[in-house]
Amino acid sequence: MTAAVTPFLSLSSVTKSYGAVEALKGIDLDVHEGEVLALVGDNGAGKSSLVKILAGAHPPSAGEIRLRGEAVRFASPGDALAKGIATIYQDLAVAPRLSITENIFLGSELTRGPFGLPVPRLLDKAGMAREAKALLSRLSVNVAHPDTPVERLSGGQRQAVALSRALRWDARMIIMDEPTAALGVQETRMVLDLIRRLHDEGRTVVLISHNMADVCAVSTRVAVLKGGRKVIDRTTDGIDADRLGHMVMTGRDH
Amino acid sequence: MKSLRPFLATYGTALAGLCVVLVFAVLSPVFLKPANLAIILRETAFLGILSLGFTLALTTAELDLSIADVASLAAVVTGALVHGGFGAPAAVAAGLTIGLVCGLANGAVVTRLAMPSLIATLGVAAIAKGLGFMITQGVAFVGRWPTSFTGLARGSLFGLSNLVWWLIAVGFAAWVLLGWTRTGAHLRATGEAEEAARLAGVRTGRMKRLGLAACGLAAGLTGVLLASSLSSAAPNMAGDHFLYAIAAVLLGMTMFEPGRPNVAGTIVAAFSLKALGNGLVLVGAAYYVQDIVLGGVIIASVALSAGALGRAAFVEKLSFRRP
Ligand SMILES: Nc1ncnc2c1ncn2[C@@H]1O[C@H](COP(=O)(O)OP(=O)(O)O)[C@@H](O)[C@H]1O
Ligand SMILES: [Mg+2]
Repeated sequence: MTAAVTPFLSLSSVTKSYGAVEALKGIDLDVHEGEVLALVGDNGAGKSSLVKILAGAHPPSAGEIRLRGEAVRFASPGDALAKGIATIYQDLAVAPRLSITENIFLGSELTRGPFGLPVPRLLDKAGMAREAKALLSRLSVNVAHPDTPVERLSGGQRQAVALSRALRWDARMIIMDEPTAALGVQETRMVLDLIRRLHDEGRTVVLISHNMADVCAVSTRVAVLKGGRKVIDRTTDGIDADRLGHMVMTGRDH
Repeated sequence: MKSLRPFLATYGTALAGLCVVLVFAVLSPVFLKPANLAIILRETAFLGILSLGFTLALTTAELDLSIADVASLAAVVTGALVHGGFGAPAAVAAGLTIGLVCGLANGAVVTRLAMPSLIATLGVAAIAKGLGFMITQGVAFVGRWPTSFTGLARGSLFGLSNLVWWLIAVGFAAWVLLGWTRTGAHLRATGEAEEAARLAGVRTGRMKRLGLAACGLAAGLTGVLLASSLSSAAPNMAGDHFLYAIAAVLLGMTMFEPGRPNVAGTIVAAFSLKALGNGLVLVGAAYYVQDIVLGGVIIASVALSAGALGRAAFVEKLSFRRP
């Protein structure tokens, strides 16, 4: 790369400790606008910790985060969302007992005044149900009634619901932590299609995955974490799942 | 048969309440008389307002075990002021403030000190109880209090006791808040999925403080209305309402929106329980039978809806299972 394009998001010397456990030991990482960056690494490598820092769910112990060149501090997930960074967490992507609509609009509910009046602002339930349906069909996902509790949906449908929430915020960058971990073949393909679609729309995606074939199928760049450090950072040009798997195991790029 | 199931799951216990009314209507000639219904409704109002507060706290998956002691303390403070010659507005404001402050204290301990509400609110309950006895020195304030104060509970409007209007007002406010506002959606999300809600940008700590503060305020109002209705204030005067309120909210969670604390369920359950208690007295049951039946209702309502209620957020919390 020549004359540096300012990265969308840039981490420098980011560390994270949980008491005595040093989960991240100084990470430098640039995420560029419009790329699909895969974060890979063994269990305990620090992927989820890194995601939580990017998402504003945890503060880093040290280090700096720059958004389009400006130093930022995310005090809460709401802060990161407001800056256009939405995260789909590994275990907490959705609230199982809440409905599809409630999940999609969680934290960003639509309101309207009754009878066309400006106040009081009451929940626009019909509007939210309509938009929930539209968002899901835009992802080519057909789900039951938007009042259905999410716990009755399949894993792939849940990912779609979580993704719809991110799209609601019109997030520029979407972080997905192990989105295909619990899915069958068919559903995995569906989620990968969703990621390609986000890429086509020009959004930035950070994908965490254990599945090297998935990573090779959709990502443009891959960063390998090992023991809390970034050991490899390269494009996915010309690498296949086997080679990537080997890289994760050895931490070396050959 | 199959299509009957969801209907029964949603309305079964509400229908059971209706059956209770019908049975007593047959057994006792007095039960359906307007004068008796008025008594049941007045009792329902105290219980309903107290239980609606509990419903709001429980919506965020926090318990408030201090409601009865806080209501008693609010009654005592209000009574002391009226007794001492203060005007009704000042006395009422003091009672409501006491409730609100206790609710805020509950919320602060639960969220700032990260203490389980089961324990935090027991602590506040004991403090409120002690303060109540301290203020009254163990005796009750009784007197001929001005109607400007007693009228709050004893007056009537359009043929309905003011108490019933208070219940309608509080019920409507709680229903709008929970069902139709963003804040209500956040309260529910906090209770149903705290961490997911927090990650979605919901201020979950603030929601818990709000739920507990509203609960305290409702307890304060209950205390004020008790003092107004009885022209007296004694420590522990709301004590009998404690188990009833827990039962009303749990029973309410078995109807309309199974597994969720909900306003309509709480009100219908409060009425059913008070109708049941009243009916038992009318057919000559001994006073202690009420308590025994109440215990049965608490256990049965949880058991009956084991599916929905067993998975309710606060039950999961109480079972001390690690996620
Ligand atoms: N909340 C936490 N408290 C203590 N240790 C943690 C916590 N979260 C993660 N860790 C530890 O940090 C290290 C990195 O974990 P994590 O970021 O979840 O890695 P990955 O997602 O790559 O599996 C692990 O050793 C893990 O046990
Ligand atoms: Mg992980």
